[in-house]
Amino acid sequence: MLQRVNNTLLVILIVIALPSAVLAQVDTSGWACELCPFEEGYQADYDAGATYVSDDEARFGHATGYDNKGAYANVAGNGSYTKGGYRLDWLFEDLGLSSRFAQLDGNVDGRFGFSIGYREQPQRQFSSTRTVFTGAAGELALPPGWVSAGTTSSFPQLATALRPVNIESDRQILDLGADWKANKKIRVFAEFQRQNRDGVKISGGAGFTQASLLAKFIDYETDRIDTGIQYADGAATLALNWYGSFFENRNSSLAWQTPFATAPGAVRLQKATAPGSDFQQLSLSGSYRWNTWDTVLAFSLASGQGKQTDALLPYTSNPNIATSVLPVTAMDARVDTVNHALTITSRPLPQGRVVLSYRYDERDNRTQVLSWNRIIADIFDAGETEQNTPYSFERSRFGISGELRVWRDIRLSGGYNRRILKRDYQEVAEQTVDAGWAQARWRPLDWLDLRIKGGTDERDIDRYDETVAVSLGQNPLLRKYNLAYRFRSYGEFSAAITPTDSRWSIGTSVLLADDRFTKSLLGMTDSEELRVTLDLNYAISQRASAYFMAGFEETDALQLGSEQFSSWDWKAKHEDSFEHLGFGVHWRSENEKIDVHADYNRGSGETTINMDSLSGSASRLPDLESTLDTLRASIAYRWNDRLQATLDFRFERFELSDWALVEPDTMATVLTLGAQPYDYDVWALGIGIRYSFGNPNISIPN
Amino acid sequence: MSARLLVTTVALCIGALLPGVVASQSPGDATTLPDYSRKGADTCIACHEDQSTLSVFRSKHGTPRDPASPFGHGQLQCESCHGPGDEHSGRVRRGQERPAVLAFGKQALLTIEKQNAYCVDCHAADVGFASHAGAHDMNSVSCADCHSSHAEHDPVLQTATQAEVCFDCHQQQRTQSMKPYAHPVRQGKMDCGSCHNSHGQTTDLMLVRQTLNDTCFDCHAETRGPYLWEHAPVSEDCSNCHDPHGSNQPGMLSMRAPLLCQGCHSEDGHPSLPQDERGLPSGIPSQFLLGQSCLNCHSEVHGSNHPSGSKLMR
Repeated sequence: MLQRVNNTLLVILIVIALPSAVLAQVDTSGWACELCPFEEGYQADYDAGATYVSDDEARFGHATGYDNKGAYANVAGNGSYTKGGYRLDWLFEDLGLSSRFAQLDGNVDGRFGFSIGYREQPQRQFSSTRTVFTGAAGELALPPGWVSAGTTSSFPQLATALRPVNIESDRQILDLGADWKANKKIRVFAEFQRQNRDGVKISGGAGFTQASLLAKFIDYETDRIDTGIQYADGAATLALNWYGSFFENRNSSLAWQTPFATAPGAVRLQKATAPGSDFQQLSLSGSYRWNTWDTVLAFSLASGQGKQTDALLPYTSNPNIATSVLPVTAMDARVDTVNHALTITSRPLPQGRVVLSYRYDERDNRTQVLSWNRIIADIFDAGETEQNTPYSFERSRFGISGELRVWRDIRLSGGYNRRILKRDYQEVAEQTVDAGWAQARWRPLDWLDLRIKGGTDERDIDRYDETVAVSLGQNPLLRKYNLAYRFRSYGEFSAAITPTDSRWSIGTSVLLADDRFTKSLLGMTDSEELRVTLDLNYAISQRASAYFMAGFEETDALQLGSEQFSSWDWKAKHEDSFEHLGFGVHWRSENEKIDVHADYNRGSGETTINMDSLSGSASRLPDLESTLDTLRASIAYRWNDRLQATLDFRFERFELSDWALVEPDTMATVLTLGAQPYDYDVWALGIGIRYSFGNPNISIPN
Repeated sequence: MSARLLVTTVALCIGALLPGVVASQSPGDATTLPDYSRKGADTCIACHEDQSTLSVFRSKHGTPRDPASPFGHGQLQCESCHGPGDEHSGRVRRGQERPAVLAFGKQALLTIEKQNAYCVDCHAADVGFASHAGAHDMNSVSCADCHSSHAEHDPVLQTATQAEVCFDCHQQQRTQSMKPYAHPVRQGKMDCGSCHNSHGQTTDLMLVRQTLNDTCFDCHAETRGPYLWEHAPVSEDCSNCHDPHGSNQPGMLSMRAPLLCQGCHSEDGHPSLPQDERGLPSGIPSQFLLGQSCLNCHSEVHGSNHPSGSKLMR
């Protein structure tokens, strides 16, 4: 006990003397570091291997790149080169796949640095999809000789015209960065990122009463620049940053021929897709620490502007509709943003801390309000005009919270914050959220950490303006769920059991939340949420360990609707649940030549929708279910310090039931792409070798 | 607007003056110091020669030419972080416990704030201006809880392994990442740091950009606009409709359409009709329920730039 007290005193003394303060007072001239294994030259590990995938399955290739049956060659590696003050580090993975990644970092004397990175992210959604359309980019056409009809089942050529199309896209991301540390306190940096995304997405193409799901070709490019100068010392930081994001859509419109029988002239329909835009923001942030009560003040000020000036398409592609001239040929759409934040933390008592915070976010949409003719679905002119509504808001948040260690092992904390949101053109012009919480944290033993938290969150509104609702065509009794009065209460409990000398540790958490929309006659009225997690880790021996983890979530929501446009006459209960189970083992042989990993995970989701109607009908839609099983196992055998062989096996089973995925002609008035629910078992077996160049082990100089 | 400009200008001036004020401060003045070891790292390595300890010499912490590195010229080597080690490395009597050296992590004798102060002393710029304002600091998370300072490749700094470190505490988010529609975190192709600044921010949820929407627009700039016809909840908050940590519903939507849309849309006609089993393929297949549901027609839900796109169909 006495020794422990001595140790504690010693470390307290150590802390008083932080290195920066004592550096000048320590004579290090005799610290030769002769035993320090500083390495110069080249050191790297490279992996080369091949993987065989058992089946074609797009979803298995989502994010991984293994979307086709067959063999894949793959290369990975990491390494470094050091010479004098120059240092290069590189890391690359999955070079043979469409999920490849490579990164090169370099620096000189720790003062000049650069980085180059490249990565690809494959997004694979469906390979079961089919379309009758041909063409690419912004123009989709029907096959020659297509005979249109009023319903999908009446298309005579449908069966023969359908051709496969994969719903997939790829991101290619290039990162460049450079930084210069003028000294320990000042750093200047610049980062550039170019992100390209191309591929095919599903997009609805609407006519008047019919629609087609289209395989839309996308070709996006986003450039992003972050640059700034930072100052930091023991007490203060200050940073001036500029951020720019420039988005370009090379297919900014999509035209398609409707396969349905339609009004004269309305054969070729057209819509606008995402317009090119840019956003720039200048920000200044900083902090300052006073010794008095260890008080820290941090602030952030940012001002930004977003613009969009893409040329507009005509009112309609139907030559039979006479339209007036557009009020402008391109929108001069502009959004100004302001973001301020201020946070002060202080410890007026050694056992306590107080935090004050303020934040303000503003989106000021300065886009001109203009009158536009209303052309319905390229079919007819409604003979009326409408005005665009550039939405703006101001959002502010003030918070105060505190923490107090009331006893050696007990910490109490609590807080209150008020959030005010003001907006225009919507039913609720101002809403206020008052939130309060309290938490107790108790560590009765070194290895036991208990935490319990509870709070409420009341969103009140100045008034729900029903005249706005009516002007938007809404039922005045509806309260939109993000605008409605809401009272939220929640409780959370977590425990961490980590015995110091024991082989096992446990962590668990429970969250319960209840949302009541008590002033809503229509719309969401109730929502409940439950989340539970459990983690168990067990060290079987010095060379083997195992873990088990589980998670469960359930969110239930009740929503009221009105078919008669009066009081509610139908309701829907939406119950969403998800379970996750995972376990794994790791074993290493005594001579450290064999290393085995195995991990299994199962995720099961279920959505149940129960519908009830005052007219007496009640129905339960079939459950939407998903089950994803993944198994990953690997064995590595180390021949010697340089050479290692690996055998890697992965298995994935995904079963999905989703009634929304239907055949192309299931719906009379919507031609779909016929996507099928996932139902696959795919395995992949890989072999590889790793070879180490340079010094595989770090050895102390003789 | 002019008031806002004034506030901004005043705050900018205060910010610009801060460094000058700071120059007069000198934290951590010490008068009595414990002894440092006589030979520095040579003393430590004589005992601590295992590979996991020595791997620090392959990390940036072990770079002798970097003047800011613990092993840079004139720096305190191992004792830069672990503190003075003379007593620890000295002789002990039989049965006597060796005096402690400064350790990090769960077994440390120091408070977490003081452990972190050692790291922040060099990494103030990396940690940023608002570490004290973040949830991690408030919940007494230490740097060593997440970072492996001796590792050649710190797992929390690698995209492929970062999430596993975060999930040690954020178990609910790990569960969500396993959902059928989620960002590619479980595949190791996206990290938590893409959206969250774990070192603390003055933003909500420690997001890397000023607002949630700005954070999403980093990768989804196609939804940014501003559009001619905006969709109000989109302009305000992407999480009005999406669960970014994962969902049972396609598109990471928080609820199945059309119910999600009917939470706000009650216009007379099809938006107010209940969509039940009568609309399934076994009944009269409904264009409001099947396929993309509302998006079969209202496909441009993030906004439309078409003159006739007020209903987000163009």
